[in-house]
Amino acid sequence: MRIGTARKLFIGFGLLPSVLLYAVFVVVPVFWSAYYGFMDWKGIGEARFIGFDNYVEALSHDIFWQSLGNNLIVVAASVFGQVPLALLLALLLSQGTWFQRFVRASVFMPMVLSSVVIGIIWSYIYQPQIGLLNGILSFVGLEEWNRAWLSDPSIAMWMIAIPIIWNFIGPYLIMFLAALSSIPQELNDAAAIDGATRTRRLFSITLPMIWDTIKVAIVLCISGSLKAFDLIYVMTKGGPAHATELLASYMYNNTFNVYRYGYGSAVSTLIVIISLLLIAGSQILMRRNNQ
Amino acid sequence: MSTSMPALDTGLHKTRRQYKWWRRSIRNILLGFYALVTLYPLFWMFMSAFKSNADFFANPFSLPQTWNWSNFVRAWEVSGMGKATMNSLFVTFVSLVLTLFFGALTAYIISRFEFRGRGILYSLLLLGLLIPIHSTLVPLFSMMNMMGIFDTHAALILPYTAFELPIAVFIITAYLANIPKEMEEAALVDGAGYTGIFLRLILPITLPALSTVAILGFLRFWNDFAFALVFINDPSLKTLPLSLSVFADGFTTDYSLTMAALSMASLPTIIVYLMFQEQVMKGMAAGSVKG
Repeated sequence: MRIGTARKLFIGFGLLPSVLLYAVFVVVPVFWSAYYGFMDWKGIGEARFIGFDNYVEALSHDIFWQSLGNNLIVVAASVFGQVPLALLLALLLSQGTWFQRFVRASVFMPMVLSSVVIGIIWSYIYQPQIGLLNGILSFVGLEEWNRAWLSDPSIAMWMIAIPIIWNFIGPYLIMFLAALSSIPQELNDAAAIDGATRTRRLFSITLPMIWDTIKVAIVLCISGSLKAFDLIYVMTKGGPAHATELLASYMYNNTFNVYRYGYGSAVSTLIVIISLLLIAGSQILMRRNNQ
Repeated sequence: MSTSMPALDTGLHKTRRQYKWWRRSIRNILLGFYALVTLYPLFWMFMSAFKSNADFFANPFSLPQTWNWSNFVRAWEVSGMGKATMNSLFVTFVSLVLTLFFGALTAYIISRFEFRGRGILYSLLLLGLLIPIHSTLVPLFSMMNMMGIFDTHAALILPYTAFELPIAVFIITAYLANIPKEMEEAALVDGAGYTGIFLRLILPITLPALSTVAILGFLRFWNDFAFALVFINDPSLKTLPLSLSVFADGFTTDYSLTMAALSMASLPTIIVYLMFQEQVMKGMAAGSVKG
């Protein structure tokens, strides 16, 4: 009886701080923003209930859809740039010599830097006058390709996708390496004895064996694309003319620059819904393909 | 194989070996090139930090003509990096202690006790990893204003801890699952309380998992930009990434000064990375699978 009470007390008091912290700072905000999404609110003073107006306004606003489109560009760049590149590197890096470990460590390196540092370095790389990119192009005689990479609305978003790939490729590489090393060697050996070529083995053994990891990687690309806010904020602030606006920066600008907290809350809620939908959608899509 | 039977080392063998040698060389050249491209932006940052601005403009690619340490001194003073470093150290340290202690406590209770709602609690924690962090900026901003912790160190420490708890609990629970319970049961029979068992047995046993959590937390807290941007206004409370962001728009013409500031801010995380490479890579890959 007394042991039972001590046990209960320990469980209760032990969990209390974590549950409280988690509930207040992670769970409540989701419902909070859903609630204030229904309000016309400037952050101070009276909040006025306006029903679905904020949500309707967001969904009928061109810039909202443009931001969503840019988010999808980041997703596409990650799925079709990061994943194949990481997979290729993983296939080439399966030996584990010191040279290969060095390459692996280098590929991972950008992951430990602050996004502010990455954003500023890449702004300088793209800078029209002193930038490395224009410098290299001039050096190899392609001077006519020189341009202000981040001020050209038609390419700015794609130029931002490059540092995103560069920055986040590391974890995918590690995941693929782990998956590749779990494929039993006998399988490959047996196929080789049966005369299967390298390419054949890649498509008939390796890729099917790590398909689950590829699926996880794609889901990560989708949820990870929403993290690009920091880079955008540092490099372009969403400009020029909203060409690099992401949902998160759109939300940020509406809330903290023009003080529309109700509207910003509605957009926050839409971000949660969209990211959950994208993740669920990609899961369903790939389950069907797998059958 | 061919050494044991030198007589069989015919032309066929030679071409196969040559083919293998060529393939390995091409692979290593490609990998080396990729590593070079990946590391170059960082190398460029460190090199430029030592240059005078004139040298930076004239020879963007070469090594510094004279190694200027004065950039570092100037950057340290101009951007108030001393104060910012202290703030970053304090916020990171307190958040780490809280994350480790409450993460371990929660993981211990979840993995060793039967109680109602255990499964729900664990899934709820993992579900939280799907919530995009940026969607909580607006609601947390308003909530912190109401709680009166906006623009204090607590405005960073509490959400950092809350958002890191799921990963901490996940990593430590997975580690505890492979540890036999006999020692704890013996301690219980000897009359030790749960608190004693947690402090004297569980914390030391889970040290490897705790160190992974600590490294991940350190990188995340030290590098965070979004929370600091929104929850901190007072210049004397700014963390490093926030104080660096002034370089993104303020001092843009003083390039080598900026590069020196970026280099100094990146050094701690790069050192931690070089010291704990394997742990950082494995931990971040595992953390992102569940995040």
